[in-house]
Amino acid sequence: MVPITVTQLTYRRGLRNWPRLVRASWRSSLQFRTVTISVALSGVAILMVGVYMSVSIGNDLFQSRLSQVLLESDRATSAAQSLFDSSDATDRVQVQNLLSAARTSISATSSSRLVAVLRVPGQEPSTVAPLDSSTFGQSTGVIGSDLRTEVQANSGDQFWQSVTLTGDDATTSPGIVVGSQITVPVAGRYELYIAYSLQEAEATLLFVQQTLGVAGVALVLLIGAVSWIVVRFVVTPLRVAAETSQKLASGDLEVRLPEKGEDVIATLARSFNGMADSLQSQIRELADLSEVQQRFVSDVSHELRTPLTTIRLAGDVLYDQRANFPPATGRTAELLHTQVERFELLLSDLLEISRYDAGSVELESEPTNLVYLAEDAINSLRSLADTKGSDLRLVAPGGYLNADVDPRRIRRVLHNLIGNAIEHGEGKPVVVSVDSDANAVALAVRDYGLGMSQAEVAHVFDRFWRADPSRQRTIGGTGLGLAISREDASVHNGWLQVWSQPGEGSCFRLTLPRTARGLLESSPLPLPPDDTPTMPAEPGEDGHLPARGGGPHE
Amino acid sequence: MTARILVIDDDTALSEMIGIVLQGDGFNLGFCADGSLALETFRTEKPDLVLLDLMLPGLDGIEVCRLIRAESGVPIIMLTARSDTTDVVKGLESGADDYMVKPFNPKELVARIRTRLRPPAADGALALRIGDLVVNAVGHEVTRGTVAINLTPLEFDLLLALASKPQQVFTREMLLEQVWGYHYKADTRLVNVHVQRLRAKVEHDPDNPKIVMTVRGVGYRAGAVS
Repeated sequence: MVPITVTQLTYRRGLRNWPRLVRASWRSSLQFRTVTISVALSGVAILMVGVYMSVSIGNDLFQSRLSQVLLESDRATSAAQSLFDSSDATDRVQVQNLLSAARTSISATSSSRLVAVLRVPGQEPSTVAPLDSSTFGQSTGVIGSDLRTEVQANSGDQFWQSVTLTGDDATTSPGIVVGSQITVPVAGRYELYIAYSLQEAEATLLFVQQTLGVAGVALVLLIGAVSWIVVRFVVTPLRVAAETSQKLASGDLEVRLPEKGEDVIATLARSFNGMADSLQSQIRELADLSEVQQRFVSDVSHELRTPLTTIRLAGDVLYDQRANFPPATGRTAELLHTQVERFELLLSDLLEISRYDAGSVELESEPTNLVYLAEDAINSLRSLADTKGSDLRLVAPGGYLNADVDPRRIRRVLHNLIGNAIEHGEGKPVVVSVDSDANAVALAVRDYGLGMSQAEVAHVFDRFWRADPSRQRTIGGTGLGLAISREDASVHNGWLQVWSQPGEGSCFRLTLPRTARGLLESSPLPLPPDDTPTMPAEPGEDGHLPARGGGPHE
Repeated sequence: MTARILVIDDDTALSEMIGIVLQGDGFNLGFCADGSLALETFRTEKPDLVLLDLMLPGLDGIEVCRLIRAESGVPIIMLTARSDTTDVVKGLESGADDYMVKPFNPKELVARIRTRLRPPAADGALALRIGDLVVNAVGHEVTRGTVAINLTPLEFDLLLALASKPQQVFTREMLLEQVWGYHYKADTRLVNVHVQRLRAKVEHDPDNPKIVMTVRGVGYRAGAVS
């Protein structure tokens, strides 16, 4: 056996797969499609023209040959008849000779070797009349009975029929048989049949057809080549335009199309470049704007913070000495102290959120163990939980491997979520869960407090929104905590989602991709949590989640 | 002995207030409101610690920090209104030991100052070895052979912390607690920047450290004694 090389195999497989390859080319290549269509259409048109031409030429050839044949046979018949008319033969031998002479004359005049003389049946038998004679040989059968009937019935007229002649060497060729009556003296009426071959006409037709075929194929190929070249002229700039716009879309704002000439491609290039210019200038403007915004935020930050620091220090000095003041002044110092603290928190939250709005947030990711992070957050909030009587628990089946996150932001999110859970947890336990899978880590904070209605859930991430304005606040949130937390999640390409039901408590779930550039598809932790008695069959169906959750597309 | 603290800040109200707070805690105060006069004032005042605002008229706080650091290892605590990455890192790289973001808590300020002023705990061994260095805890000296290496007190503390427990891997958080006195999660950039500054002074090749070794994903540890 001949060993088959890999290339051969690939080649064979390629051959076997050609329908798929053609389909793929059809879909992917405009050029292939255009060339195929133009070749197919022009092929059909050329085929139709060719068929029409060949049919009409064939017809014409036949007609001219037919009229020639009829003329010749008429002439031959007349010559024979006049020979008979002028004869004075009376006996059998004379008649026989006369007929032979007539046949020779017919052969000579009509240039046909196939001549048949048959006595018209139904006449009185005559001893003088010569027998039927024919040189048709193999083709004797071509003189059909219809033709004979017509010839027998009408003396003086010519009748013809298209036939297939068989030569001595069994070759066949198209032909025409012409029949007429002659009257032989003494012997009576005879049918005269002369066959003419159309071989020459057929050869001519074949030649014409071949020529047409070759010309047609050449024309189709030519059209294919021409359309390939023409399409190339159009497609190449289009391809360049497609590649350029792809580059533009992926952020390379400097790319432009070459502008040459005045045609439609040049117009496309010009308008594309105009679009790219305005895009670039707008993006630059936005970037400038964002820079202005950032500088403004930064300036406000500095300008506000310095006097605030002085106020803070002054307030603290007064606060430390409040025991020495009269009661009203002492209380004033206390209020000053707490409100300055609140103002401070509000300012820093405002600055943080405006930094997000300005898009000037940069992640400082490092490998972080989320379980430790959760433990830390729990420990730092334990005293608050104790004052509320809530039991803080950590459930961490997974999440021990490091994830690439910004620990400062995630810690802030955790503080926020756990703080809220303690605040609204009604003194019931608060459970922090951590789990992970191959792509993601998740943290969930579950409380068993009052919970929220659907309408409340829909606003939970809104700025300055409070679940219940009348409810006493102990950790003095700014109303921006969850809004910032959600920004913290989405800057990690993560999700912050919420489930809540009145009377059942709430669950906030933070899902983060394990790596900085990872994308989330699912979360390792369930939401709604497993322990809900009235768990809806499908998350999201009742609008509780994750629609509101600050998913990646929000 | 009362420590003398120089407050370099153009906001006189804040300077005065800081003065009131710190004097209440028994510190001696000096003030300077102009960056271009800062170095001069520093030379005449000879403070034990500098509180330095980053935004100063005349000369930029970062520049002032660099100038002071060029002639003294005195602890510098930056005061900044911006906790954004670039400002803080720039300040730390120019030689500040620690930073405080405005508005700060007076107790926190006092605690930070006390941490920086406290003499390093010299427990037990007098001379510790780390890599090819000898760290003299009592004499506050680091030598390579006979050559003394000049470190700021903070850099010395950092090196001493690592050298005192050669088997231990220190996380950034542990170092923050031990060297900077933070008892809660603080900015680990403090550690990163100062480890780099320390390496620049003690390593033969700072890109290939042999004394302050990085333990990837965990923190740092002392290099083997050689």
